[in-house]
Amino acid sequence: MDILLIDDNSTSVFLTEMLLKREGFSDNIRSFLAAQDALHYIEQHLPDRAPAVIFLDLNMPVMDGWEFLDALKPHEQELAQRCHIYVLTSSLAASDAQRAKEYTLVSGLIHKPVDSQMIKLIRTEISEQSK
Amino acid sequence: MNTSLQLVQDEQRFRSLFENNPDLVLFQNATGTILDANQAFLAHINKPKEQVLHRPLSDFLPPDKRPLFQQKLLEAFRGKKVRFETDVKFDGLEPRRFDITKVPLMDDGQITGIHAVFRDITAVAAAQLMVQKQAQKLHTVFESITDAFFLVDHNWHFTYLNSEVERLLNVQRDDILGLSVWDVFPEEANGVFYQHYTQAISTGQAVHFEGFFERLQMWFDVKAFPSEEGLSVYFSDVTDRVKAHEELYRQNNDLQQFTYIVSHNLRGPLANIMGLVDLLSSAQPASYDFEQIRQHLQLNTHQLDAVLQDMNTILTIRDNRNVVAPEQVLLLDVIEQARRTLEVPLAQCGGSIRLAVPPNVRVHGNRAYLYSIFFNLLSNSIKYRADARPLQVEIESTVSPEHDIVITFADNGSGFDLQKAGSDVFKLYKRFHSQHVGRGMGLYLVKTHVEAMGGHIAVSSHEGVGTRFTIHLR
Repeated sequence: MDILLIDDNSTSVFLTEMLLKREGFSDNIRSFLAAQDALHYIEQHLPDRAPAVIFLDLNMPVMDGWEFLDALKPHEQELAQRCHIYVLTSSLAASDAQRAKEYTLVSGLIHKPVDSQMIKLIRTEISEQSK
Repeated sequence: MNTSLQLVQDEQRFRSLFENNPDLVLFQNATGTILDANQAFLAHINKPKEQVLHRPLSDFLPPDKRPLFQQKLLEAFRGKKVRFETDVKFDGLEPRRFDITKVPLMDDGQITGIHAVFRDITAVAAAQLMVQKQAQKLHTVFESITDAFFLVDHNWHFTYLNSEVERLLNVQRDDILGLSVWDVFPEEANGVFYQHYTQAISTGQAVHFEGFFERLQMWFDVKAFPSEEGLSVYFSDVTDRVKAHEELYRQNNDLQQFTYIVSHNLRGPLANIMGLVDLLSSAQPASYDFEQIRQHLQLNTHQLDAVLQDMNTILTIRDNRNVVAPEQVLLLDVIEQARRTLEVPLAQCGGSIRLAVPPNVRVHGNRAYLYSIFFNLLSNSIKYRADARPLQVEIESTVSPEHDIVITFADNGSGFDLQKAGSDVFKLYKRFHSQHVGRGMGLYLVKTHVEAMGGHIAVSSHEGVGTRFTIHLR
């Protein structure tokens, strides 16, 4: 199961990676500090290998989380059912949660910090849907 | 035709003209004695002809008018026509106003007498007085209202304006009455005022709007009413109100930015710390993971502190905005100061600065702010230089036609997509480069400092070419 972490904050990447490993979520975790690099990677591997889960930060320079989601729209068909995107943000703004709902590819919005319990929850969610 | 018959006929025609003239007509000799008087005169003073003829006119005049009539009689006997206006109260009658003409009668080069024609203009004079009084009353009304008020005719010519107009627009009534509005204010010939006025005239409907008067940098609240005479315009100075509104809007914007900071930049490192502390409880002390967690904790606590210090800096500038006394700062001095601070990193990247700033240029402002502006711009240039070529920075100062000091700061660095960055360039904690460390504080500070000194800043940038900032200061 391929997992992508997109976050320009190295601590945030470190934290999420550590939790995912500890929960035995997957061994195949790739992190990107820039969203455009992640987009490039995904486009290279489509249509055969879509990542199973993407953890996406919102507030990033050059290409932010929203722009990344917009850039993915052309691939929506190929990604639907196969890829779960979780927006991971330190923002508590209600407007962000509202906006996230407008993207069908987004499975949920998680406020940082992510913890073990949240990882377990996501894992259950994914396994139930892929049944 | 018989000559004597003709004479008789002429005589008759003259008599008729004399007798039936509706004006009061007299014929007097050099001493003022009345030799003849027409019907209208006799009727007016209500006396039979025999009580009037061969008596001086002064017998019928009030004593205070006698010298005037005597003097006019003398003037007429010098051979010229005399005309004057006066009130006369004939014996036992109401006073009337007369327009009086005394015409000398010439016979063989001799003045044999004068005809005095009294035209009663009492009614006309009263009407004129009324008109004058009404005009004065209107004038008083327009002067007493607090609004500025002016009238223009259909050719846009000023026909009236009150002193509030003179005061607000800094004009003199006598200079602009009769002139076209658009000759007096040619820069407004196609502006917001013109557009509203023409709309009022073409639709016949009053208009009410707020307009910015460029020449004096003032906001006016304007009401214009079209009429048959042209357009009546009332306006008042609402600059303070508009400014207050803008200030409120700006403060609201700042507040929104602050919420954004709290949400993203305070909570970012804080959320990390919370997560790290959580992990710490299950990590083996002295293990590799433990050490990693500790290092991240250290990094994030410092980030948190940096954000708090930024906020302190921002709040200090805002608090001091009206407190710190401005001075005349030598521009070259502060640029040199910033250059010295960044000398080492500048030399390390092989960068150079070209200065085109005259040594005597001073700007009205705060030394610390000016230093901060150049420090932040220069450190940005170093940070975002293009790898392909050595950094070149050009700093120039010129004086604008409005006597502003215009400073341009240009580099040949990596630049950014201005279209994409748009209005975010100067916003707090907005960043446009992923491969560099930056908090997104520098340009926000630059803009805040420039504006705190009453100036403004603009930017143009091209990816791969460079960035140019233009700063206007006083």
